[in-house]
Amino acid sequence: MALLQIAEPGQSPQPHQQRLAVGIDLGTTNSLVATVRSGIAEALPDVDGRIALSSAVRYHADRIEVGHLAREAAASDPYNCILSVKRLMGRGLADVQQLGEQLPYRFQAGKSHMPFIETVQGPKSPVEVSAHILQALRERGEAALGGELTGVVITVPAYFDDAQRQATKDAARLAGLNVLRLLNEPTAAAVAYGLDQQAEGVVVIYDLGGGTFDVSILRLSRGVFEVLSTGGDSALGGDDFDHAIARWMIEQAGASSDLSPSEQRSVLQQACAAKELLTSQDAVAMHYQDWQGQLSRDTFEQLIEPLVARSLRACRRALRDSEVELSEIESVVMVGGSTRVPLVRTRVGELFECTPLTDIDPDQVVAIGAAIQADTLVGNKRAGDELLLLDVTPLSLGLETMGDLVEKIIPRNTTIPVTRAQEFTTARDGQTAMVVHVLQGERELVSDCRSLARFELRGIPPMVAGAAKIRVTFQVDADGLLSVTARELASGVEASIQVKPSYGLTDTEISGMLKASFENAANDKQARALQEQRVDAERLLETVRAALKADAEALLTEQERAVIEERMSALDAVRHSNDVNAIARHVQQLNHATNEFAARRLDATVKSALAGRQLNEMEG
Amino acid sequence: MGQSQHTDYFALFALQPTFAVDTAALAVTYRQLAKDVHPDRFANATAAEQRQAVERAAELNDAFQTLKSPTQRALYLLRQQAEMPEETTIQDGEFLLQQMEWREQLEDLQEQADLQALERFVGELKQARSKIDNAFALCIEDPEQRLQAERLARRMQFLDKMFYEVRQLEERLDD
Repeated sequence: MALLQIAEPGQSPQPHQQRLAVGIDLGTTNSLVATVRSGIAEALPDVDGRIALSSAVRYHADRIEVGHLAREAAASDPYNCILSVKRLMGRGLADVQQLGEQLPYRFQAGKSHMPFIETVQGPKSPVEVSAHILQALRERGEAALGGELTGVVITVPAYFDDAQRQATKDAARLAGLNVLRLLNEPTAAAVAYGLDQQAEGVVVIYDLGGGTFDVSILRLSRGVFEVLSTGGDSALGGDDFDHAIARWMIEQAGASSDLSPSEQRSVLQQACAAKELLTSQDAVAMHYQDWQGQLSRDTFEQLIEPLVARSLRACRRALRDSEVELSEIESVVMVGGSTRVPLVRTRVGELFECTPLTDIDPDQVVAIGAAIQADTLVGNKRAGDELLLLDVTPLSLGLETMGDLVEKIIPRNTTIPVTRAQEFTTARDGQTAMVVHVLQGERELVSDCRSLARFELRGIPPMVAGAAKIRVTFQVDADGLLSVTARELASGVEASIQVKPSYGLTDTEISGMLKASFENAANDKQARALQEQRVDAERLLETVRAALKADAEALLTEQERAVIEERMSALDAVRHSNDVNAIARHVQQLNHATNEFAARRLDATVKSALAGRQLNEMEG
Repeated sequence: MGQSQHTDYFALFALQPTFAVDTAALAVTYRQLAKDVHPDRFANATAAEQRQAVERAAELNDAFQTLKSPTQRALYLLRQQAEMPEETTIQDGEFLLQQMEWREQLEDLQEQADLQALERFVGELKQARSKIDNAFALCIEDPEQRLQAERLARRMQFLDKMFYEVRQLEERLDD
């Protein structure tokens, strides 16, 4: 609706009513929820005062437990306690089995190739497990704010691919959340840091979490956070440090590496504790079965050196892509619990030739940034310069062409949203169908990139080879999610898909899960849907009315105005009925009728923004 | 959304269609315009409006990228004047020898894995690039020199390809 209200950007249509919005940091190890209250962004604690919610889910026969108790039970009940589920999001069974030796779960393949984990409550997908964590945070947020949430911003690693982003969005849908935006974690951190420190210039965010690593280079300029480049590794984090220590322990103890799931868990718990102690101590005593020994910080650093080096390679690449000089960098901000490891701080400082900033809370900064963005997105006006985040695609997107090669359509680090089209032709005489294979990654061979989806364009009129012109259009939206359209230009035959990746849940699976979760609350659900639809209708009418008043005279013909007004009265007539579908239909029709009007208003605003700027410049 | 195809990128940024563009000022205008059309401004809007905002913002991003990159800007100017012929139909014997020489150098550098030599090579390419840019700025203003302008734009594209390959090589050496 905001499009029709652009005369007052950033202002809430109902200025007296604060809309409830939260930011969620859905982490590998811990998750947080934060919000902006009275202009101050803060993380929300649970009833016991804990801010971090352990990203752990335990399935009991009759209930589901989320949080630290679930984590603590991991060694005694390894099959039903799901930890670090973020590492499984958007991954196929084969990918997961590569991490396999280290994960004490029983997997089975779902219809969608997504790995389901067998639990006492039956098979659970990583998406469902994540949804439980989100649900817990949602309840915490609603309890603290005293009402239903209008929308949320959920953070994801900048280096997450399309499948991992889609899986996160699906989890939010299962948890009943309205996702305003998926926000990249380093960008969220930059917002929190930049606004707090009033920083300007080029800033590097080095974000090493429990299971993922991101680096982003941003230019901060008067409320605009422009990501210049991003890089990372969506399977590199503090968990890997734990695994490195665990492997060392087992080797030292001369034990077989074939551990039972609960032995695995207890070794990993000890490894994690040792890692944390080594941030302030020089050595830690360890034991496993009959073996007793010491892990020195030196040895620990040798163990993790190759992992840290991997993160530095990604940093150098991001630096090259950003095209900024080392000397232009104002500051390097450390984010994520794993940046507490001294070796990480030293190496990052050496690379960027400055002392990394560690004075902001590395655990909370992402959630805080997400909360600020959520608050802006729901339209709660903030003081000072308006906030705008310009992000990029982390990975190149392309199509399979002849010879198993990938033709890049959108290179990595392109600012989103982006639309790009490429024309292809047929290879054989009379060819009537074409397979479009969409890939993500930097390598040149199809087998080295990640397959996102395949779809078929059928009904191309038979022509000689090379005569048909097929335009394939890629669009990446502001969440970093891709959709692809293919059209044969002569005949207009069109095929379009929202890329539902090879490793995502199928729509049937999602609706099945939704149904299950709403079974008991079916009536509630219906009542809520009706209520939501009525509110929608009301808001739409209100905004159209205001827009007509402001701009109809200048931008619409009499006839155009009459069409819009007719649809308005039609909607007005049904909006108090109990027919959800009828209201939705009329909302859609009114929306449709105002499309062109909205576009003209947008043009007018752009023109006036430009005019305003030129005026200012002349004065200056 | 139909009209978006006819948007003049220079006009969008209130600029004259010339090759010389102040990219710092361009970036400032871009941020200004982005504040109005970015989908974040329409997070509460209806689906149709959000789609439109995505289209607009994508177009703005494309316009910015096109005008920011000297090569893309050059090609855009040429296409605005008249359709560009296929790449293969342009004869440029003079540049061909230079192309081959650079290719050979790059191949040698791949074997040597010498980062300093690579840096010197990049310096050489950058120098060649700025000469081409300067020549193009003059040619594009003169309709008589259209053919030479096209040739220069193709040289820019070739150099971009070389820079890309250098980048790939740097990455391989870094791994």
